[in-house]
Amino acid sequence: MSSSVRPETLGTADATDAAPPGGWGLSLFWSELRVLFGRRRTWALLLALAAIPVLIAVAVRLSSAVPAGRGPAFLDRISQNGLFVAFTAMLVSVPLFLPLTVGVVAGDTIAGEANLGTLRYLLVAPTGRVRLLLVKYAGALAFCLAAPLTVGLAGAAIGAALFPVGPVTLLSGDVIEPPQAALRILLIAAYLAVSLAGLSAVGLFLSTLTVVPVGAMAATVVVSVVSQVLDQLPQLEWLHPWLFSHYWLGFGDLLRQPLLWDSFASNALLQAGYVAVFGALAYGRFVTKDILS
Amino acid sequence: MGSSDGVDGTMNRIMNGRQRQHAPEVRGADRARNRAWLRWVPAATVPAVIAAGVLAGTIPARAGDPLPTKTPAEVMALAAGHRTHTFSGTIEQSSELGLPELPATGPTAGPASADGIASAMEFLTGEHTARVFMDGKTNARIQVVDRLAERDVIRSGDEVWFYSSRDNSTAHLTLPGDASDLPLAHPGTPAAPHTPQELADKFLAAADSSTAVSVGPDVQAAGRAAYNLLLEPRTNGTLVGKVAIAVDAATGMPLSVQVTARGASRPAFSAGFTSLSLDQPDVALFNFVPPPGSMVEELQPRHHERQSLNPGIPDSHPTREDLAAALEQKAGEYTTGSGWETVVEVPAEAGAASRLDALLAGNPLLAQAAVAVPGGRVLSTALFNVLLTDDGRVYAGMVPVERLQAASAAP
Repeated sequence: MSSSVRPETLGTADATDAAPPGGWGLSLFWSELRVLFGRRRTWALLLALAAIPVLIAVAVRLSSAVPAGRGPAFLDRISQNGLFVAFTAMLVSVPLFLPLTVGVVAGDTIAGEANLGTLRYLLVAPTGRVRLLLVKYAGALAFCLAAPLTVGLAGAAIGAALFPVGPVTLLSGDVIEPPQAALRILLIAAYLAVSLAGLSAVGLFLSTLTVVPVGAMAATVVVSVVSQVLDQLPQLEWLHPWLFSHYWLGFGDLLRQPLLWDSFASNALLQAGYVAVFGALAYGRFVTKDILS
Repeated sequence: MGSSDGVDGTMNRIMNGRQRQHAPEVRGADRARNRAWLRWVPAATVPAVIAAGVLAGTIPARAGDPLPTKTPAEVMALAAGHRTHTFSGTIEQSSELGLPELPATGPTAGPASADGIASAMEFLTGEHTARVFMDGKTNARIQVVDRLAERDVIRSGDEVWFYSSRDNSTAHLTLPGDASDLPLAHPGTPAAPHTPQELADKFLAAADSSTAVSVGPDVQAAGRAAYNLLLEPRTNGTLVGKVAIAVDAATGMPLSVQVTARGASRPAFSAGFTSLSLDQPDVALFNFVPPPGSMVEELQPRHHERQSLNPGIPDSHPTREDLAAALEQKAGEYTTGSGWETVVEVPAEAGAASRLDALLAGNPLLAQAAVAVPGGRVLSTALFNVLLTDDGRVYAGMVPVERLQAASAAP
């Protein structure tokens, strides 16, 4: 993997030393995005995500009709309408694949730089640790948006290629036209991006604890799995509304007519709480930490 | 760590850099330690703020102005006289009756045309959310919101549609001309939860001289100021301790119903609006066309006269009141006792006992919940009991088991 030292960042830092902090943060953010999405690993993650709808679509295409009510929701609708590949793929990727990829990116934020020995360079430039933390988190959020978007768009594309595309039946039994269905796919991608914001904050915090990125990545993924397991235990019902994975599958509310925004709002509030708590923890840890690498 | 050259030199530079950067602020190790401590303040503050916010949210909101005082009779008249048939809102229903919980994703959420004990059981356990849209007396839509699924009941004039997204199935029913305006539920149709109005109407109808009616402190329901009408049975012969009905001060519409078992502190059953709008819902909501690929089953309207019993217990009724009402419809009026102590009897029919056995065999959870007692089996909940006798009779009531047994033993 190529080193993530960014000459342009350092150059920019020198050139705009006296520039207002806002502009500096933005250029650091763009550079962070360039590094993140310039990495082969990021592309591998996105390609793996795009493979999910492709696998589903090909499997349905090659097999006989799926009996209604079997398998994940929407699976039985695919053969009639290709756009359901996107819904099915997003549903299937929620429990494991999305948290896995987000865990890799979020766990790598600080620990990855520390591991490569580039963290100190970033901080020698008058970046400020807070700003670096914010930029790193913003980069992870950008991936949180890119990941479900990749699944949804790849699903819609492969679905349109292999199956007929027509009006989409919503959960309420009402039918909407394909352009509106595309809008709903984007809405669900946004919902999932918000859903993953809390996990990213957890990953960011874990990433400040260690200089071994793999450790932070694995810990983030484990946290997401543990949260989902706890969400399944009826004995812990009081805890469920507090788990960051609690509303992950609530995006079905975006497939009702009229749109039901309740779970979107609850989810956003919950994720904001996680971002605040783990953001504050990451701040406390990162600004008091001795950067040795 | 990762860098290969000049580690020591770089380290020194970085350490120097750090110190130079911090130099104006840091005066000695103590200050540095203090500052390090300060950096953790947000991490401690944020959870505290969140906890405070959550606690503040649990304190019930006080209505700005106290409602004008009304006597219980006036509140009952207000509730009885409400004419609100155009609204949309969200209803949440929660039951802690002590029945085994059936997962909403399980076999209970079957085809749209499914009726029977399973769906009735489902609406008697756990929590359910439904959206209700009403436009006058003949246009209505109820959406039972399940996780990644939905069950809809749409009524437009005489046409009633049932849709279940889980298997994309549709059922259709044409109401007979003499059908009542409301409610939606019709004997033999799939399950749907009941609105607070329907429940409140049933309880208010039952409130007679055996009931102490009072008005509690004002409450807020669905963001609206409401009178809190309290019905308390005067008898010890029932399991029900208290029924609280929130009656909207402006319209008289019942906004929520909470039923508390005798001796319990928390409601065993509650259903109420969490949001309510009195605007007219979009008319397009009531125009339902079966979606492409959906199997449409035509249902025959059943009539209220006596008919063969299937399978002894009514289909879609979340409260004991409904249970009684449906049992009365189906079995004729075989009741003993009155008011809250009413026991409904469904007489045995040929083959009824074996059908009950088959029913229990088909519902392991139900079989588990039905406890064997002398003379039969009892399905016991916090608010009502059902006695299934060995010879196929069914007794149900909001009364203790002993009373059901006594009723079954009586000639």
